Amino acid sequence: MYRGREGQWAYFLHRITGVALALYLLLHVFDITLVMYGPDGPFNAFLLFYHQWPFRIGLVLVIAAVVYHALNGLRIILLDFTTWAIRYQRSMWYGVLGITTIIGIPVLIKILPEIFGGA
Amino acid sequence: MAVRPKNLREARDTYRTNSELAWWVFMRISGLFLVFLVFVHVFVNNISINVATVDYDYVASRLARPSVKVFDSFLLGFALLHGANGLRYSIEDYLKRPGPRFWAKLTLYVVTAAIFIMGVMTLWAFSYQEMGDAVRNLGSGL
Repeated sequence: MYRGREGQWAYFLHRITGVALALYLLLHVFDITLVMYGPDGPFNAFLLFYHQWPFRIGLVLVIAAVVYHALNGLRIILLDFTTWAIRYQRSMWYGVLGITTIIGIPVLIKILPEIFGGA
Repeated sequence: MAVRPKNLREARDTYRTNSELAWWVFMRISGLFLVFLVFVHVFVNNISINVATVDYDYVASRLARPSVKVFDSFLLGFALLHGANGLRYSIEDYLKRPGPRFWAKLTLYVVTAAIFIMGVMTLWAFSYQEMGDAVRNLGSGL
């Protein structure tokens, strides 16, 4: 399906992370609204359910999606509003992937032990 | 619309209505704000603390602070509009038949509006400090 080069992958990843983040956002705001039921309401039980490790791995993926979508969004803004950026669109995409990785590594070092260290 | 405009001049030529052009511009402006808002939000609530320690008391104490109310209000508004408009782009790209497209968009708008109203209520209708004080002062008021 995707035989294009970097630009097409940049678009594809931007679209899929965007849709995923939008759906996560709706769920996330909904679960925070449960605090309106007070301390004895369903909020703590709901959160306890989401503190299981598969969901915490999912949360790490949400962070990764946020970082990629944000950085590639900045790349898109540069492409749209400057005349020079289009010449560097491919290297800027590798820059986006590189910075996402650089931000991701310390975040993983902080969060993974919390998930698997029994915390 | 499979091919989207690549710059502001193309966007002006492509979109027949001012509102589509406005949304195109909004996605970029709100995106800029959201980079800051979401990064701070994720760092404060998920990276700097162990997210497994988040519970009712943590959320209540944060939402009781006016600065958090204001920050989260901008976050809620920008993120929901940016996300809902992105989902609308996706629906228009992938659902070509008028029937499914109509129902998908209607569902999207209704769910987004409901979530927005509930979010605003959570941020502003409940001041936990004042609620707690009011409950504790019930006896002395009689």
